[in-house]
Amino acid sequence: MKPSDIGPRPHRSFAPVFWLLFGAGGMLSALFGPALILLTGIMAPQGWGLPARFTDFPHALEFARNPVGKLVALAVIALFLFHGAERLFLTLKDMRAGALPVLRAATYGVAALMSLATLILLLLIGF
Amino acid sequence: MTDIPPALEKSRMIQLRVLRYCPSSDSEPSFVVYNVPFSDDMSVLQGLQAIKADQDGSLSFRWSCRMAVCGSCGMMINDEPKLACETFLRDLAPGPVTIEPLRNFPIERDLVVTVGDFVKKIESIYPYIMPKVPKSIEDGPYLQTPAQMAAYDSFADCINCMLCYAACPQFGANPAFIGPGAMAMLQRYNSDSRDGGQLQRLDQIHGEDGVWSCTAVGVCSEVCPKQVDPANAVNQNKTRSALDFFLRFLRKAPSP
Amino acid sequence: MSEQRPFHRPMPANWWAHKPYLSYTLRELTGVAVALYGVILLAGLVCLWLGADAYAGYQDVIASKLSLLAHLLLLVAMLWHVVTWFQTLPKTMPRLILHGKPVKPQSITAIGLLVAGVCSVALLAAVVALGAWS
Repeated sequence: MKPSDIGPRPHRSFAPVFWLLFGAGGMLSALFGPALILLTGIMAPQGWGLPARFTDFPHALEFARNPVGKLVALAVIALFLFHGAERLFLTLKDMRAGALPVLRAATYGVAALMSLATLILLLLIGF
Repeated sequence: MTDIPPALEKSRMIQLRVLRYCPSSDSEPSFVVYNVPFSDDMSVLQGLQAIKADQDGSLSFRWSCRMAVCGSCGMMINDEPKLACETFLRDLAPGPVTIEPLRNFPIERDLVVTVGDFVKKIESIYPYIMPKVPKSIEDGPYLQTPAQMAAYDSFADCINCMLCYAACPQFGANPAFIGPGAMAMLQRYNSDSRDGGQLQRLDQIHGEDGVWSCTAVGVCSEVCPKQVDPANAVNQNKTRSALDFFLRFLRKAPSP
Repeated sequence: MSEQRPFHRPMPANWWAHKPYLSYTLRELTGVAVALYGVILLAGLVCLWLGADAYAGYQDVIASKLSLLAHLLLLVAMLWHVVTWFQTLPKTMPRLILHGKPVKPQSITAIGLLVAGVCSVALLAAVVALGAWS
């Protein structure tokens, strides 16, 4: 019996696009995530280990206006969002939480919109 | 008459709750309880054979080698996929032991499940060597270093017992998923230095029902009685499939 | 031949909450924590764009005790993501054969965790140094 007897070749899935985004976000967050949360969520706001003015408005604006800063911000936000979106989509699918197109819109759709918003904001903030 | 050694005396009783189903008389499966005398060396398979011999000859179950190489006796034992021949009643005592057919498969009868779809999946992935370099008999055998053999031999250990399919919730949710066992076989051939069929096999598994139904749960590798690591077989092919998705235009044309 | 009427047993709706799948579900939910942190950063970016007042308001919220607790929880989830990520990573890689023997998945996990530790510590050190110098 030849494999061609089984049936037509399966249609290629689009999943690799989301899987690679998930992988990139997963690797970036695995390497730098703990440090980022510590820095932006704990150390800077509480003033532990960093000067009080480190993330104040002028400094934050300077970071966001820097081309490298923009790339970093876009990469971190967009990839973290798509990583979570893929995992949330699959978990909701496991839980049979709803119809697949709805779940896709709620996860990938929201991540895409938020990533687009990030790009637009970074451009609007200027250089 | 020779004395039976104490370890082989059937001195204790254990309760086996077996899910029975006879399609011509039952509308749905139901549990039947059997009390079985057992000795320290008895497996669950031997317990089932004792029931069939002494209590109810209609009990149906697959078995063959009794030594975990044929892959016939896979079933759910206390809700875990196991080979009945290498699961021992002494470890499950005092019981009761719940025995059901392999999860995620339709039940034909009692502990016998439908395996036809699994066989089709195995057949769909070109389960034979497609030589990279064709050789005639006169040219002699293909040579392989120990390292080249190490690249695929663990995937060759698969005994097609389907415990991995019982463990896989994505197969449970999507019976068309090609599944861990078929992917282990695919990887056995893909990793073989003699084989040149990687791209053809990739075309069979790049769909939603191919590798992309897998979410890396990983329980398949945990239940595998032969340490085949089917989770690795599936997931390394996600990487392959993803790279192929973007780089397919650089593919060399397949040899005729 | 006797009648064939295969019986289909449906999957329990909450299979993902029970052994042995609960740890997988928790692992996947750490990914959601990663996204939540991304949303917090996006919120900061929005406030930054809105101006100094909005941004000051954002800073006040982030400095609050509630936010500190939330970030600590996110940090725990993120650390679990790191550990489970490198446990899962070897599955996606082909069998590596070194000196004739297969490389164990645990070795890849250990190397990954080491690299992650170095990266996070390096980032922390770099930012703290930058803060001290500025």
